[in-house]
Amino acid sequence: MPDKSSSKQSAFDRRAFMAGAAGSALVPITARAAAEEARAPVAQDPSLPVDVTLRVNGKDKRLSIDARTTVLDALRDHLKLTGSKKGCDHGQCGACTVLIDDRRVVSCLTLALAAEGQEITTIEGLATDDRLHPMQQAFVDNDAFQCGYCTPGQIMSAVACVKEGHAGSEADIREYMSGNICRCAAYPNIVAAVKQAAPEIMKG
Amino acid sequence: MTAAAPEPKVNMGQPVPRYDAAAKVTGRATYASDMPLDNPAFAFLVTSAIAKGRIDGFDLDDAKRVRGVIDIVTHENAPKLKESKLFSNGGYAGTTIQPLKSADIAHDGQIIAVVVAESYEAAREAANRVKVSYTATAPSATFDSPGTTTAAAKGQSAQFKEDPEVGDFAKAFDTAEVKLTASYETPTQHHNPMELFSTSCVWMGDNLVIYEGSQFVYGLKNGVAEQLGIDADKVRVVNPYVGGGFGSRGSMTPRTAIIAGIAKRLNRPIKLVPTRDQGFTITTHRAETRHEIKLGASRDGKLLALRHEGAEVSSRPDAYCVGGTKTTARLYACPNVASLVSIVRADRNTPGFMRSPPEVPYLFALESAMDELAVKLNMDPVELRRINDTTNEPIGGKPYSSRSLMACFDEAAKAFGWAQRSPQPKSMSDGEWLIGYGCAATCYPTQMAPSAARVRLQRDGRTRVEIAGHEIGTGAYTVIAQTATERLGVPLEKVAVFMGDSDLPPAPVAGGSNSTASTCSAVMMVCDQIRQRLFKAVMPDSLTDKAKETVGISQAPATQAAKSDRPLDIEKAFNALGVGVVEEYGEWKPEGAPLDSFKAMHSGQVRIVGGHAMKDQIAYAFGAEFVEVRINRFTHEIRCPRLVGAFAGGRIMNPRTARSQLMGGLIWGMSSALLEATEIDERNARYVNDNLADYLVPVNADVPGVEVIMLSEQDDHINPAGVKGLGELANVGTNAAICNAIHHATGQRIRKLPVRLENIEV
Repeated sequence: MPDKSSSKQSAFDRRAFMAGAAGSALVPITARAAAEEARAPVAQDPSLPVDVTLRVNGKDKRLSIDARTTVLDALRDHLKLTGSKKGCDHGQCGACTVLIDDRRVVSCLTLALAAEGQEITTIEGLATDDRLHPMQQAFVDNDAFQCGYCTPGQIMSAVACVKEGHAGSEADIREYMSGNICRCAAYPNIVAAVKQAAPEIMKG
Repeated sequence: MTAAAPEPKVNMGQPVPRYDAAAKVTGRATYASDMPLDNPAFAFLVTSAIAKGRIDGFDLDDAKRVRGVIDIVTHENAPKLKESKLFSNGGYAGTTIQPLKSADIAHDGQIIAVVVAESYEAAREAANRVKVSYTATAPSATFDSPGTTTAAAKGQSAQFKEDPEVGDFAKAFDTAEVKLTASYETPTQHHNPMELFSTSCVWMGDNLVIYEGSQFVYGLKNGVAEQLGIDADKVRVVNPYVGGGFGSRGSMTPRTAIIAGIAKRLNRPIKLVPTRDQGFTITTHRAETRHEIKLGASRDGKLLALRHEGAEVSSRPDAYCVGGTKTTARLYACPNVASLVSIVRADRNTPGFMRSPPEVPYLFALESAMDELAVKLNMDPVELRRINDTTNEPIGGKPYSSRSLMACFDEAAKAFGWAQRSPQPKSMSDGEWLIGYGCAATCYPTQMAPSAARVRLQRDGRTRVEIAGHEIGTGAYTVIAQTATERLGVPLEKVAVFMGDSDLPPAPVAGGSNSTASTCSAVMMVCDQIRQRLFKAVMPDSLTDKAKETVGISQAPATQAAKSDRPLDIEKAFNALGVGVVEEYGEWKPEGAPLDSFKAMHSGQVRIVGGHAMKDQIAYAFGAEFVEVRINRFTHEIRCPRLVGAFAGGRIMNPRTARSQLMGGLIWGMSSALLEATEIDERNARYVNDNLADYLVPVNADVPGVEVIMLSEQDDHINPAGVKGLGELANVGTNAAICNAIHHATGQRIRKLPVRLENIEV
């Protein structure tokens, strides 16, 4: 994880936080085993709000948040950008995929603090001037979704898939789009959409 | 035109893009947990670590010390809620196990506490610090577990009235020339819609708004009102978009009234976003099933005797069952049929509907057995179906309203290249890959339920359709908009559709593939009411009976014109009426719906009719599915490179959304054969793979080739829309087709799902 800490975090000791958070990172797995012994004491109370500035879709957003807040929850609960979806909170489904410095990232496994200073692009930042991004248009043309819940993640992932050079063949697209689950199973249409949009995106 | 938008055939609508397409690709479509709340508190669930026993006590000190914790709710201080009966017993609930009511634990993962805090992070941490002491007793997990009880479904389940039978099965089976007896098993499965089982509750005085992904907003509204003991008019459920349902959101789960009660007590909006693993135990699942099929046939392939025995696992208190023998007993011509469905009670949560609830497990058994019989007879499996095709169902002798089963087989066989199959098992290969071709039939009952709608037409053609239907990914917005366009003659871009809100006119549960047939029939009827008003303004309605006879019509001209396809001159009619807006509300019910239908519709009670239970006919949609499997002879890896399905479902409202739904269904079918199973730790009656990495669902790389063929079919006997419903048709039979293909590839018959590479013995 690149360290781009800034002076805005003066009240916050990242190393101490990481040590303390090791326990709480396990929470979703052991939630039902609540009878287990309490975890190691937290080195620094992570619930104390921390100031952070996130650059989202080209705009700086200042937040005061719990240090454990993920990029996904920061976007959804604090910035009202609810396009990115929570489907598992474990990095297993891809519904929360955003671009961070042009790399596709599962925002549920990325702490907001770790994304400071980086360029976050969400589904809300893809269309320009009321014109759909070529990938969004391709998803419409090819009916590449049904319920639509995984769609923002699929589209963000698809944009990166093309830019990575992984859209050269249908087999490649299928492989490199397999980190995004679509329970409605629009997969063949997603492949068709990526194929349609790829040339236009590569043209720039 | 892209492959996604097939050219419409006869009796198909236009393949227009989805009404909600732009909202869904831009992130503007708002699902339950996307709804903005004013200063919400966040709830996090604590669930039981044991499956059976009692809670001795809680130690909450550590949890309460977490900064930002507002409240911790357990059975000792939970809001008092009234019980709700099971949906099939006149209630709304999917389970009668009510958490936080007492110290008793009825299943693993039952909600035992709710932590409420200022932030999601604090709620989650505190939930993890809740300490619970239990007295656990050994639970009974599933089939064969000590302590389960088994009894016939008939007599204990309101969902299952009778075991279909006809003729004398025992005698006919005894004397049949060719006999087959085989047993089959299907696993527990979980819907795992992409949207988590979120619930937000906001009180405004005595009025409650619930944001929750639901397949039945009227059911949820009435059910929560009943549990809270308040008037249903004070509860509103809002969900304009639902992130997948597949049955999981059809009936009320206990979480909603609990969250509503806590929100009331704290006087604050509460947002609950349960984790994925909690979703495995706080909602329903598809129960594991077992089957024994006996088939007796003549040498030339005529079925003479059929017996289907099924067993399903349910919870201790609820006799839930799907009882698919109602379909398998009627699918083929057979003079002697017997059947029996049993329910096994275990220490589990109550199961529920999951996409094609009866047909997925029960047709797996029957369509596998039909293939086994074809092998015994040395007969092409398609021909065996043809020999036993029928126009009347064998139990009551009622005619199928329409039945395109063999037409589907023929179309799909041609597209697949079935003729290139060499019939002998293990006779086709490609390098290290053994190749198998297999096929199976699919069918799903045509069902309808009462529905209301409100339509408003403006002089400039702008139209507003209001109906409390549900957009779970089926294309409901789109086909309803198309219906209004077709009946009113207004352009599609002028039609606005409002759904997913219990303040709108009631629509049925989005389940049992009844939505399009029901909601479109209602919208058609209300549009025709508008047409009638407008035609009345411009056409004389005062013809005498004598005059009507002379011009050869039976109805008044306006009535006649309203029901015909005659175009409407809106401008002229509005001028004649002298108004700016015409609005109509109407309530539609299908033929055979009970007398209390409309009352029930408003109180969120399900009154679905159709399928085998119609008076003078039986109505089903049909299809045929062909698959190619490839099995690596060294690693036993199983691939499914091709799925081809042909389907006939009456009128196809929109070939684009229909194709997508059928395609998704085929992939679901493949998944039910090769991937999906919730594994149970039998010692603890606990699900062990309760996440999206370990509960296998298909990803893009799993599905290279899917082809959907929609047949042109017209059926005027089912409902005004002529629609049979497609949502649950395509994922039926696929599991059998795949096992039949595996037999063709390897000579090995697999009768237990899912099939994994360790099950292959080459």
